[in-house]
Amino acid sequence: MKSTSSQLICLLLVAMFLGLVRNLVPANSIEYIGNWRTLSSGDEPIVPPTAGEGDPPFISIDVAQMEHSLGEAVFIDAREGAEFECGTIPGSISIPFEYLPDENIDLYVDSALGGMSKDRDMIIFCSGEECDLSLHLARNMQDFGYTNLMIFFGGAREWENFDLEIERRTECGE
Amino acid sequence: MRRIIDNDFLTLLVRIGVGIIFVYASAYKIVEPGSFAKSIWYYHMMPGSFINPIALILPWLELLVGLALVFGVCYRGAVVWANLMTVAFILALSSAIVRGISIDCGCFKAAAASSESAWETLWFDLVLILFTIQLFLSRSKAWMLARH
Repeated sequence: MKSTSSQLICLLLVAMFLGLVRNLVPANSIEYIGNWRTLSSGDEPIVPPTAGEGDPPFISIDVAQMEHSLGEAVFIDAREGAEFECGTIPGSISIPFEYLPDENIDLYVDSALGGMSKDRDMIIFCSGEECDLSLHLARNMQDFGYTNLMIFFGGAREWENFDLEIERRTECGE
Repeated sequence: MRRIIDNDFLTLLVRIGVGIIFVYASAYKIVEPGSFAKSIWYYHMMPGSFINPIALILPWLELLVGLALVFGVCYRGAVVWANLMTVAFILALSSAIVRGISIDCGCFKAAAASSESAWETLWFDLVLILFTIQLFLSRSKAWMLARH
């Protein structure tokens, strides 16, 4: 028993040592204590750890709801078509990031948005905090010249969790 | 039943199989601790300040445990760690499923590049724990580099 517990501690100590030493190698090293958000409250926007400088602003559920009720901004769902059909923020346009064509993506996006002005307010979202599709789509759209983009990173799940209306085109299981 | 659990050949096979799984699972996490940290964050199960230390240490623990099982060094400690880690993985995945977090588990690949669903990996882990429990119960000491 004593031998087992000393082996447990020994393995852990060696793993700690190797992990800390490996992180001294600059390639793919990370901060020893990261700055990770813990919860979404609705008061503040959810900002993913992958967000970078120059990304469009992230908005909270409150701002997303306000924009939706004003009806000025266009909501863009970056998830795949099946998820969009199952339930999305009402009036959203589907641009499934993972199924974008290999070429002429800008023309595809312009077409999906019906050629609307590139300085129109647009709010991009996907499933929720585990989903980066909205961020990737927003970065692409920035490159295509869209200037007033926002990312609602709480996504469809946070929208639904706040008991806001969901538009369902097909009935889907949970 | 006892004779089956203690069977030297069965225990050796399970040792090597489980060991290889742990070594394989550790590989991407060691190379890309940032991606693994993000996978942990997706679970929303612990304070943010714990995430990076775990992302740095856990993969090496998996690697050491895998190698220890294969070669029979620090064997009892490795078996206990294998059981503890598998239980932790099962709890984390179950919790994510219950809370409706649809995640790629990040168990073998970076979450963004992974196609494994939480359900698939949960089933995998539930099978895996049967083997780690067999190792825990087995009294076989055959074909080990270090004497126990």
